[in-house]
Amino acid sequence: MTKIIEAECLTKVFPPSTKAVDGVSFSVDEGEIFGFLGPNGAGKTTTIRILTTLTSITEGRATVAGHDVKVAPAEVRQSIGVVPQEVTLDNELKGIENLMLSAKLQHVKKSDALERAGELLQLVELDGASDRRVRTYSGGMKRRLQLITALIHRPRILFLDEPTSGLDVQTRTKIWEYLKQLNSEGLTIFMTTHYLEEADQLSHRVAIMDHGRIVVSGSPSELKETLHGDVLTLEFSDGTADLTPFLSRIEDVAEVVRSGGAYRLKLPKVETALPGIVASVAAKGLKIKQMSLTKPTMDQVFLEVTGRSMRDAEEPQSNGMSHALVAGVEAK
Amino acid sequence: MISESLAIGGRAITKWLRNPFAVIAALIQATFWLVLFGNSFNPANAVSSSPLGGGSLGFFQQAFGGAANYITFLTPGVIGIVSLTTMSFMGVDVVLDRMSGYLDMLSTCPIPRTSIYFGAMLQNVAKAMATALVTFLLAFFVPNGLRLVQGFNGLDLAGVLLTFALLSLVFSALFSGIAISVKSTDSFFALVNFLTFPIMFTSTALFPLGFFPSWMKPFAQANPVSLASEATRLLIVKGSLSGAQVSSFAGDIIGLMVYGVLFGVLGILMAKNALRPR
Repeated sequence: MTKIIEAECLTKVFPPSTKAVDGVSFSVDEGEIFGFLGPNGAGKTTTIRILTTLTSITEGRATVAGHDVKVAPAEVRQSIGVVPQEVTLDNELKGIENLMLSAKLQHVKKSDALERAGELLQLVELDGASDRRVRTYSGGMKRRLQLITALIHRPRILFLDEPTSGLDVQTRTKIWEYLKQLNSEGLTIFMTTHYLEEADQLSHRVAIMDHGRIVVSGSPSELKETLHGDVLTLEFSDGTADLTPFLSRIEDVAEVVRSGGAYRLKLPKVETALPGIVASVAAKGLKIKQMSLTKPTMDQVFLEVTGRSMRDAEEPQSNGMSHALVAGVEAK
Repeated sequence: MISESLAIGGRAITKWLRNPFAVIAALIQATFWLVLFGNSFNPANAVSSSPLGGGSLGFFQQAFGGAANYITFLTPGVIGIVSLTTMSFMGVDVVLDRMSGYLDMLSTCPIPRTSIYFGAMLQNVAKAMATALVTFLLAFFVPNGLRLVQGFNGLDLAGVLLTFALLSLVFSALFSGIAISVKSTDSFFALVNFLTFPIMFTSTALFPLGFFPSWMKPFAQANPVSLASEATRLLIVKGSLSGAQVSSFAGDIIGLMVYGVLFGVLGILMAKNALRPR
C-alpha cells in the first residue's frame, strides 16, 4: 500500500504557548478512510489545516500525495479536495454555478467539468436542484453540494472537517453512503469527527486525539477488541453490601467495577457467562433491579484511553450499539 | 492568474448584482450628498443672501473655477466620496468571505495567492465604477443639477470615465488589501472610517483649494480625491482641453496612477501576508 499521507512528530504551537498539536505521527494508505476522532479542541482541525496547507508547522513534517506541505504547498493543493466545517458556498449563485466556479479554480476544462458535475449531482441527489440558487437550499442540501464542489477536479485525497456536524440523522446517514461510494471508487478520505459512531461506521482506521496527541489508533474493531468483551451493568434492588468479591468469583467474569449503586462486569465470553451470573445471583437470593448489556463501542474505547467519557455539549451521542437485554431495563 | 482573478471577482460581482442592496444604499447616499448637501451648502446661496456681498455671483464663478452652479462643481467630488464609501459598504464582502471560511477555501485551491487579491480588487473596482457612473447620471436630474460645458464631447467623456476608473482602482487597491488582512467587520469599519473622513475633508471634493488654509493646501493638492475631482472638473466645466489644461489633466492622471501602483504594491503585500499559512 502506498502511504498517501504521512505525518512525523507534527507539532503546532500558537503563540504564545498553546500547543494545539503535540508531536503527532500517523500515516494514511491510499484508498483508505481515515478518521480523526476527538472532542472539540483536541487538535483535529489544526491537523487538517496543516495537511491542507492552511496552517504552518511549528515542528515535524508532513507529506500529502508525496509532497511536503511546507516545501511544495502548490503541489499538495493540486491533489486534494477540502470540505471545511463551515459552508463556503455562495448563496446568490445557483448550485451548478457554484460547481463551475470551483471547476475554474481547479483548472478543469469546461466540458469535463460539466460532465463531472452531472455525475456528482446525481450521486448526492441534487440533480433536480442544480438550477436553483443555493439560498433556497436546506442545510443538508448545502452540505451535499459543498461535498461535491470539493470533488469536481477528481482529487486523490478528500479532506473533510466534521462533515456531518449539526445534521439530522437521515442526512448524516446519506452522507456516509456517498462517502462510502466515493471511497469504493478509489478516493482516499481523511476526516475529522467528534461523532464516535461516524468514525466507527465509516473509517477503516481511526486515530483518537486528545489534548493535541494521538492516544490510540487502529481499526474500529481492533480498538474495540482491546476492551476484552462486552460489559454487563447490574443494579440490585436491595442491600448496600459490596458484592464485588461475590460477582468476581462467577465463572467467565473478567473484571468487576462498582460505580455508584451499579456493577460493571466485563465478559469476554458473554454467551457462557450470562447463564452462570443469573443462576448465581438467584441462588444468593438477590433481586435484580436493572440489567443491561453493552457491546464494546468507540465510546468505551474513548473512555478507556482518555479516562473520561466523550460528552459532547452540542448533541447527545446516538449509540446504536448498546441494547437492553431484559425487558423493562433501561438502555444505557 | 488572470482567469482565476476573473473567476473570483466575477463570482462576487454576480452575487452583488443579484442582491443589489449595497448598490442602492450607495446611490441613496450619493443622492443625499447631491440634493441635500448640494443645495443647503451651496455657497451661491450664502453669497446672494448675505447682507454684505449681496448678489456678487461673479465671486462664486471665480472661486469655483467657472462651474455653472455648485452641483456641477460638487458632482466630481461626490463621485470621489461615493467611490470611497463604496469600499466600506461593499468592500466588507471580502471581510465576510474571510470570516465565513471562503478565503480559506480559496487558499486550498491550486491558484496564486495574488489572484485572491486581484479578484477582490476587481469586484471593488466594478462596484465603485458602477456607483460613480450612476452618481454622474443622477447629478443631471437633481434640482439645480449638473450642467456640462457647451461642446462637451466624446473625448471629454472618455477622460471622465478614465478618471473614475483610476480613482476606483486607487481605492480598491488599498481597501482590498485591508479587507483581506482584517479579521472582523468591526475592525474593517473602524479602519475604513478612520481613513475615510481625513481623505474626504482634506480633499477639494466639496470646496475649492482657495478655501483651504495654507497648511492644509499641500494635503488637499496631493489627495487622490482632489486629483480625480480636479481632472473631472476640467472636463465638465471647460471641455475640449488645450495647452496648460491638458498638462494639468495629465498631471492629475499620472498622480492617480502613482497612487494606484503604490497602493497596489501595498495591497499585494498585505494580502500575501494575510494569506500565508500561520
